[in-house]
Amino acid sequence: MDMTLVEKANYDGMCFWTEKLGMSNLFRFWMYVYRLSVPSYMDSTSTAETDYAVFLEKVKRTVYIDNLSPQVTESVVRTALGQFGTVKNVQFIPNYTGPKNIPCCALVEMECPRQAKAVVLEITQFPFMMSGMPRPVRAFRAEEEMFDDRPIKPGRRIQCRWVDRKDPDFEVASKIKHLVRKHAAEDLFLLQQQLAQEEKLAKQQDETLKANYKKFSIIDNVVSDGTAPGLAKLYNMKVFDA
Amino acid sequence: MVEAEKVDSIEFKWGKKRGVGGKKKDIQFYESFFYDGVDYTLYDSVYMYKEGETEPYIGKLIKIWENADKTKKVKVLWFFRPREISYYLGDEKTHMNELFLASGEGVGNANVNPLEAIAGKCNVVCISKDSRNPQPSDEELQEADFVFYRAFDVGNCRILDKIDEKIAGIEAKFLLNRVGNQNSSGAPKLDSNMKEVSGNAVATDDTRILAKKESYLGDKAASSSGVQFDEVAKTNERQVLVEEKLKAAKAYGDLDDRSYKLRPDLTKDPHETINALSEKPKPDEKLANGKFPEASLRHPSEEGSDTNYYKIQEPIQRPETDRSKWFRGLPWEERMQTAHEQGTLVLLQNLDPSYTSAEVEDIIWQAFKKSCTAKMIQRTARSSPHYGQAFVIFQKREVAEMAVAKLDEVCLMLSNGRPLVGSIAAACFPGKQSTFFGHLTINKLRIHMQREMKEAVSTSHCSQPNTLEYDMAMEWCLLQERSDLALRKLRQQQGQELRKLRATLKSK
Repeated sequence: MDMTLVEKANYDGMCFWTEKLGMSNLFRFWMYVYRLSVPSYMDSTSTAETDYAVFLEKVKRTVYIDNLSPQVTESVVRTALGQFGTVKNVQFIPNYTGPKNIPCCALVEMECPRQAKAVVLEITQFPFMMSGMPRPVRAFRAEEEMFDDRPIKPGRRIQCRWVDRKDPDFEVASKIKHLVRKHAAEDLFLLQQQLAQEEKLAKQQDETLKANYKKFSIIDNVVSDGTAPGLAKLYNMKVFDA
Repeated sequence: MVEAEKVDSIEFKWGKKRGVGGKKKDIQFYESFFYDGVDYTLYDSVYMYKEGETEPYIGKLIKIWENADKTKKVKVLWFFRPREISYYLGDEKTHMNELFLASGEGVGNANVNPLEAIAGKCNVVCISKDSRNPQPSDEELQEADFVFYRAFDVGNCRILDKIDEKIAGIEAKFLLNRVGNQNSSGAPKLDSNMKEVSGNAVATDDTRILAKKESYLGDKAASSSGVQFDEVAKTNERQVLVEEKLKAAKAYGDLDDRSYKLRPDLTKDPHETINALSEKPKPDEKLANGKFPEASLRHPSEEGSDTNYYKIQEPIQRPETDRSKWFRGLPWEERMQTAHEQGTLVLLQNLDPSYTSAEVEDIIWQAFKKSCTAKMIQRTARSSPHYGQAFVIFQKREVAEMAVAKLDEVCLMLSNGRPLVGSIAAACFPGKQSTFFGHLTINKLRIHMQREMKEAVSTSHCSQPNTLEYDMAMEWCLLQERSDLALRKLRQQQGQELRKLRATLKSK
């Protein structure tokens, strides 16, 4: 039941649109339609395509980095990834939805796709840490939807229509809406669970670290302030000089 | 002297003389010599062995002479191995046995060394397509130990594709392949030669080692370190890591395997030992905005006609006058904040993730005949691949509320069966986050660190497997994998639910 653009150019359609839009707007509409249907001759669509191609190329050489500490600044990222090649641009992805204490992420644009691949490979093979230890960062190749200033994919048309009660689809549509909300809530819940786990792990590691630190500093102190050598002499043993 | 005697036991004989020089005309230059069973000629490529290095350096003899005090010296023009200049190579591809000729002005180009430092002859073939270079035949290529066609300028620290006219006072034609056949027969098979040498060195021949220790290669090491190990400390660490690995990997004197492993392939073991988790979260039935379209009065659809439900509207370009381009100057975040305060910010959900901001604006225009500015929320690793979200700023609060109300009561169905979900956005703005799990500090140093952190620029590094932090990092990786798994399962399940519902849509 979709009506294509061409069908819409029927007489009754014309009448309807004229009534709705007025002549000037209708004219504009037709210009738009014309542009869409004759893509190869018009400049605007070809620039759209070149824009999109340029954008796709940019995506190929961008790296998406995750699990960043909020203290990481742009210069840190630049220096860190600068060893893999030239960093052209660093853009942090702001977090407007979701809880406040999830790690940050950023998009880093490199000079060529090979460098981007090298970055991702290196970071996935070795734990790479930035501005703190020991939580490593993650890196993926970037995807188109990660960029918010992306150009429109040429040749795509969006259609929308209102569905009201009389429409047989109304029930399904409202069920879908309900489902969408439910999924959003599920996401949030899962995220919070994972944050709780991360916190637990961090605490655990912190305790282990502190315990080890204490242990080593005690040993250090004992050796340095002479207790150990003294005792060693007493018991006729050698101090382990490590 | 003990040294002199021992050195004499290694066969040596001067070859063709070349001329005399020096202040007192007491330096004798030579064109060839016979040393330790091998004939060397001027402009031959040789191995120079340094104590402790698993791989010898390679250089070209550009001057051979004997001083008045009978000490024999050679001046060597160096070849760089790719790993020595990897920082400047970046990610360029190099041959397995490619070398780079040193050129330009500066330290590290060429050095004077005692003749005894020579460890053997090397067959280096120039494969440059330069007109001055006689092209090597296939057999020569087969027999070659190394090839080169590019140079590395030590002054500018750059790779040069063309060999200069003169390098270190030597004309290019002497540096490229020589006319006439390469004396490949002269260079004995590699391993046997090296084994000889290594045999000699390993033998408790202290004096020979002493002779080597005359820091003859200290020059080269210092220069190459000046060239490589500059600014970024991280590179230094990584180079060391790589070189150490190379050392560890190679057996002493094993020169047959000349593969440069720039990226030692360690696999992360924890990834393989993850058990399948059945960690399925049970979501609460709490809904954020559980608004069901009430069975209240039905708003007549904009078209005004009851008969045609399936009228599909194409996105119409908004008239240009409404598009207030001159306000785009303000950064998005500020406008979002003001909009949030004024109540004109709306969050749209259930968009196709591949929509762009402009398309969202078009949709809003077309559905509500109201202009707005929209911004798609950028996708992250956590976002759902099933939906896209966008923030929309309307002109007025009432418009925003009206839009949300309308979206609730009547469904705006986008293509491929997506009813738009709208709500007044409860956006949270990223402030100064203080809680980040995973970075540990030791209490005493904490205050120190905070000050340093603000100015820190290069604080990142790759962790090595023998440290405590590596183990901890592995634990984090494990946790990350678990979370990813759980997230994937959730997404799958959500996808299934969505598909089921969409399939029941009567019209597409």
